Amino acid sequence: MSFVQATDLTRTFDLSDPFIVRAISRTPKRILTAVDKVSFSIEKGTTYALVGESGSGKSTIAKMAVGLLKPTDGSLLVDGMNLNDPKLAKEETLALRRRIQMVFQSPYASLNPRWKVKDILCEPIKAFKLIENPKAQIDRVHELLEQVGLASSDANKFPHEFSGGQRQRISIARALSSEPEIIVCDEPTSALDVSVQAQVLNLLKSLQKEYALTYLFITHDLAVVSTMANKIGVLNQGKLVEEQTPEVLFSEPKNSYTKMLLNAAPKINF
Amino acid sequence: MEENLLEVRNISVTFKSRYGVLKALDNLSLNVKKGEILGLVGESGAGKSMTGAAILGLIDPPGRLSSGEIYFKGKSISNAPEAVRGHEISMIFQDPLMSLNPLRKIGDQLVETILTHMNISKSEAIKRAKNGLKEVGIDPSRLNSYPHTFSGGMRQRVVIALALAPEPSLIIADEPTTALDVSVQAQILDLLKKLCKDRGTSIILVTHDMGVIAETTDRVGVLYAGRLAEIGDTRDVLTDPKHPYTRGLVDSTPRIDSNSFKKSLFQIPGSMPKLDAMPSGCAFHPRCEFATEICRKKIPQILLDRSACWLLNDGEL
Repeated sequence: MSFVQATDLTRTFDLSDPFIVRAISRTPKRILTAVDKVSFSIEKGTTYALVGESGSGKSTIAKMAVGLLKPTDGSLLVDGMNLNDPKLAKEETLALRRRIQMVFQSPYASLNPRWKVKDILCEPIKAFKLIENPKAQIDRVHELLEQVGLASSDANKFPHEFSGGQRQRISIARALSSEPEIIVCDEPTSALDVSVQAQVLNLLKSLQKEYALTYLFITHDLAVVSTMANKIGVLNQGKLVEEQTPEVLFSEPKNSYTKMLLNAAPKINF
Repeated sequence: MEENLLEVRNISVTFKSRYGVLKALDNLSLNVKKGEILGLVGESGAGKSMTGAAILGLIDPPGRLSSGEIYFKGKSISNAPEAVRGHEISMIFQDPLMSLNPLRKIGDQLVETILTHMNISKSEAIKRAKNGLKEVGIDPSRLNSYPHTFSGGMRQRVVIALALAPEPSLIIADEPTTALDVSVQAQILDLLKKLCKDRGTSIILVTHDMGVIAETTDRVGVLYAGRLAEIGDTRDVLTDPKHPYTRGLVDSTPRIDSNSFKKSLFQIPGSMPKLDAMPSGCAFHPRCEFATEICRKKIPQILLDRSACWLLNDGEL
């Protein structure tokens, strides 16, 4: 069994009008299937990338992976356990949640502007009761900041004092603070400039080596994927249309949608 | 092709603030030839959008064009950009939802634009609007639809039709495809390229995406901290960069080829300086691995019509 195992993962959203309106205008229910029977598996310490355009369901899968959304059908197992398993005790669910963290797309929207960096980084530590001693908590914050390439003196600053790339480093430090094994990265660099994107991607890679992290990497950018992923899944309208290693996917794509995506991606090569 | 449609000569845009006078654009010069697509590339804060705004006289106070001249078809427009704005030079903005009025039908918006800039009858204008929509691949019967009934790519097509309606000779496209998916982006760029080649319209394409630059533009200018770092034929600039910043940008762009799988990307250390903390001399020198004494002291001018870098003086790089 793989470390992360998604089996027939499905999520639907009900977009229907209210019941009364439907009864009067005699319209049926409208159900949107955002994710349709998606199955994939991720080995420990590797990166699995989900690629697709807007509306393909990639962010819905990311949210289900961290437990922000419940799957309508199917399951997502991490180390053999299911976040939504009603039989799991509360403590066990909490312990499982600690092992899965997320880095969001916009570093501007995902950090509380009224909190200092040390409070942002301390919250997961306090929530999971990892370190009780306040002095030791601050030491851990300094350690985290240095790991992501920031100075320990940055702990007393507010998010607005940082650039986009530095903020994304803070997001990564926050994700690391609960000592997770899986990090779900939802378009972590699409709001950043290319030179900063390179810095953040390289940071994610070196952290993966150091802590044997497993990444579920969500992006629309095929070029970013080619430098990050061990395996790539291409999503189109909620369905997984192709799954391959980057070497095979980029040299001989099988699915017509994958081919179209590869052709459309702007290339710098002459 | 040789005739310069637009000449921007040594323009500076300054903002007065409590930290003193900040230079958003510093002594920038560039030319646009007839029928060519000039790309402007750089990271956020480099001054790409500011260049477009300066040409059209759209700089919001407290910013102002403090020095330099802009010539369009040989005449100075720096003091009266209204004469050409919208008619001779039109603009395409990044977000197609923001640049269309949500309360008015797209047909009305097209007709209004045409009537404002051309001296023709209303029925003639409607006919032109229909033709315009047909050209960008939208069914002319959608003239009576509201913007919200279109998808993002369709809306950007409408915006292109709007920009082309007064038959301008220059279009400034400010990140026209940044908000769109790659497949739609490819369609929109192809469309823009085709329509402009057919009419001989020039384009200034502002973007941060090196891939878009490589696939779309004839020439490219690389901006850094409000100054032009390098300019030249796109192919030359991207395959043989003369400025260390351009080289860094090209190398840090992830590529789809078999050599790049699982490899680390090249990274430029540090980040772009803030306007109130501009380094002396070449603005790039604190991040440049080749920086020498002169780079810290004197601002380099564009050398050999190509790159603002002192290294070109010694024939290195």
